[in-house]
Amino acid sequence: MVSENMKEQLALAVRSIQWSYAIFWSESVNQSGVLNWGEGYYNGDIKTRKTSQGVELSSDQIGLQRNEQLRELFRSLKTTETSPQTKRPSAALSPEDLTDTEWYYLVCMSFVFKIGQGLPGRALANGQPIWLINAYSTDCKVFSRALLAKSASIQTVVCFPFMKGVIELGTTDLVLEDLSLIQQIKTSFLNILNVDDPSNTETIPNTRNNEGVACEAFDHNDFNVELIPEVEYDIINNTTTSPNGSSNALDINQLLDETFMVESINHRTSQVQSWQVIDDDLSNCVHNNSMNSSDCISQTFASPQKINASADPKGGEDCNNQKMTLVDPLTDDWHYQGILSTLLKSADQLIMGVHFQNFHQESSFCVWNKGGTVDCHRPRQGTSQKLLKKILFEVPRMHMDGLLESQEENDYREGTRLEADEGMNHVMSERRRRAKLNERFLTLRSMVPSNSKDDKVSILDDAIEYLRKLEKRIKELEAQRDPIDIESRSKKSTHDMVERTSDQYYNKTNNIKKPIVKKRKVCDIEETRREVCLKGSSTSVNMSDNRVVIEMKCPSRPGRILEIMEVVNKLNIDFDSVQSTEADGSIHLIIKSKFTGPSNATTKKIKQALQKVVSKS
Amino acid sequence: MENSTQESNLRSDNSVTYDSPYPLYAMAFSSNPNSQQQQRIAVGSFIEEYTNRIDILSFNPDTLSIKPQPSLSFDHPYPPTKLMFHPSTHSSLLKTSSDLLATSGDYLRLWEVRENSVEALSLFNNSKTSEFCAPLTSFDWNDIEPKRIGTSSIDTTCTIWDIERGVVETQLIAHDKEVYDIAWGESRVFASVSADGSVRIFDLRDKEHSTIIYESPQPDTPLLRLAWNKKDLRYMATILMDSNKVVILDIRSPTTPVAELERHRAGVNAIAWAPRSSRHICSAGDDTQALIWELPTVAGPNGIDPMSMYSSGYEINQLQWSAAQPDWIAIAFANKMQLLRV
Repeated sequence: MVSENMKEQLALAVRSIQWSYAIFWSESVNQSGVLNWGEGYYNGDIKTRKTSQGVELSSDQIGLQRNEQLRELFRSLKTTETSPQTKRPSAALSPEDLTDTEWYYLVCMSFVFKIGQGLPGRALANGQPIWLINAYSTDCKVFSRALLAKSASIQTVVCFPFMKGVIELGTTDLVLEDLSLIQQIKTSFLNILNVDDPSNTETIPNTRNNEGVACEAFDHNDFNVELIPEVEYDIINNTTTSPNGSSNALDINQLLDETFMVESINHRTSQVQSWQVIDDDLSNCVHNNSMNSSDCISQTFASPQKINASADPKGGEDCNNQKMTLVDPLTDDWHYQGILSTLLKSADQLIMGVHFQNFHQESSFCVWNKGGTVDCHRPRQGTSQKLLKKILFEVPRMHMDGLLESQEENDYREGTRLEADEGMNHVMSERRRRAKLNERFLTLRSMVPSNSKDDKVSILDDAIEYLRKLEKRIKELEAQRDPIDIESRSKKSTHDMVERTSDQYYNKTNNIKKPIVKKRKVCDIEETRREVCLKGSSTSVNMSDNRVVIEMKCPSRPGRILEIMEVVNKLNIDFDSVQSTEADGSIHLIIKSKFTGPSNATTKKIKQALQKVVSKS
Repeated sequence: MENSTQESNLRSDNSVTYDSPYPLYAMAFSSNPNSQQQQRIAVGSFIEEYTNRIDILSFNPDTLSIKPQPSLSFDHPYPPTKLMFHPSTHSSLLKTSSDLLATSGDYLRLWEVRENSVEALSLFNNSKTSEFCAPLTSFDWNDIEPKRIGTSSIDTTCTIWDIERGVVETQLIAHDKEVYDIAWGESRVFASVSADGSVRIFDLRDKEHSTIIYESPQPDTPLLRLAWNKKDLRYMATILMDSNKVVILDIRSPTTPVAELERHRAGVNAIAWAPRSSRHICSAGDDTQALIWELPTVAGPNGIDPMSMYSSGYEINQLQWSAAQPDWIAIAFANKMQLLRV
């Protein structure tokens, strides 16, 4: 139940702290345990005003008027739903006139919260205020309107229980928690409520519930229903003319008010006709609105069965309609809002919802009961959702595998399914390319000391690292060399050595018809590196300082690597790293090591020792 | 244990059963009854081999008979993941008295189902892009803009086809993992579900962004199917892997489901919104049941009970609600397709 001067108090409260809006969520009359829109006051940014009447209005009046218009718009959109054949009544505002914040406020009108759920619901359940900052970035589970709030740039939302309902305040500013603010608002509310004439509450209940409720509450006849807007004006009038209509109260144009008041209070049963007379007399925006609203309601009332459908306390469809009308929302740039508005478009669709086919007697379906029927077995054992999973997980795999097979059949299928084959060719070449890439990556990994993971990035990282080390090493070596040597052959030869190593590697281990990268002619390679070929094996030893790099390739044999290691060990050489790859019956070994103790091992000696091992095949 | 009454009595007043030589999965109703007031139904086999079949049946609701049309059967490579007839009664691609059928699997294919023959109209592959065309898990035909078909793929993308021009309108990397289903909401808005456990909404006018409408409670629980309520676009429904729940989402309050339907006793395999009602949805699962739910405006404390139920005696793998004849729901289990009067 909403106190009829709630609107004014909300207005006072929200204006006094300069926040964007205030909403009173009240317990639904239709459904216990549910909070729905009770009353609200919007105090935020306004995009366009339609005050074409030229009447001078104070800012308070404009504010009130705007709020009425918002409410009108909400209703008119709702009317579109219930009676789509009639055009949306010409509300003073159209959805295009709204700012994002107003849009947010309008959509809020359609929300309902179970007690204990949502921000208002939890505030009420806990009896504690909730102060939410950065509302738009809040998890939607906490603040279900977070995305809407984002579009409206609402940053701070505060909810606190009040009079069996919840007051919600919101602002586009960031306001840190300040419980005294709530207290201040509460007391100011309470004061006003105490001063107010309580009889108003009794005589005019439920003014702000949805139309369905209002219909019930008045439960008289068409005319009474049509009086609802009038009742709303009563509130305004009473408040504004009451002595406590304090400073911020809504000073409605006095002339208007008085006329209304007389009409509404004295002629509670006044009929549409008289109403319309006033309407003709006073061409004012506010008035136009009320006219519209009376239209809406009478239309709604004229089709009671539809009211039932639309009196849905969830107010869901309402929201739809707002958005439906907002085919072109204000901010196209915001994805979600854009989607919302485009999605929920034609009203006609929703109307269909009412005509759900009732069950035939001959329906295959029977009424559900908790215990289940006789033929309702326990679910079988085994994988759940077996076929669905097969369709989603395994059928794609079949296609992938199938592509390989079909590639082989390509020849004779050519022509019949050209397009498919093109696709398959493409797929196949892509697959081949990937296979090659993966192969190369494996090779690269085997060549590079790696301590990290196996993924491609790590392999590349390791390779880069390794190359850097090698380059550094080369420089060191060069620096140690005879200056004459450097001049004559240095850079080229070392570089070539590296390159050549890799070439050899590819050619010998991978057996791929890879075009042999043209090697530079190296005449002096023997100087730094001696190679002896022995029955498909090769050994090279590279020595500097006390460091030795041994690279060898030889036919594979069980235990061979171990033998080689032993030999090297005997020469007082300590391993830094050993990499071995085995391919096509050959072992490819790179041993990086250094002398640990006194050693007279020369390049030649090492090589001979190694060749001895290799020859023992 | 099987329901022997159902088995022996293939025709009763309220259901008709079609026995197929092979297990069935994919299934579709034609959008419009043909001249003899018979509705076509396409069923796709599920055989774990290369050769699969798509059969066209004609259903006569007056005589309650299902007649296979052998001349209209054709092969499909591996089981089709989805079948769908052209959503509207008129199409520029169509001659009269023929239907347009789309299938997904390795590619999206279009077939023209004529009176006595089926012709492959086109095969859509987007291999011209740098990545190869990955297998498709599902697709949806845009009923407002029927030249658009959106496909979902295991390569994390959704592809939007202009089938009249035979070109890719756009391809979006929709998810972090495999995309399992896609559904249109409006001519330019679609949503998809994925192995990454999210439901995302896309707008073709703003391809840079998507909005996550829902994420499965346990991270990375795949979402397998998605159904958008065409009569009230606020709502969509999705199902999770190994879950007996049907999750109902309201796009206005993302990430928090408005309802979770939890009366199935085993995993849910298929969901379908009522074609003519905004508040009814049917679901079917491994518990052999097909349940029809009426969504209340506000859920009670004990969850939502289904309105009615049907038990087939077998795990129900597929469910379609005929848009042309909303009295009929088709389910598929084992090698049977059964039409149930609602």
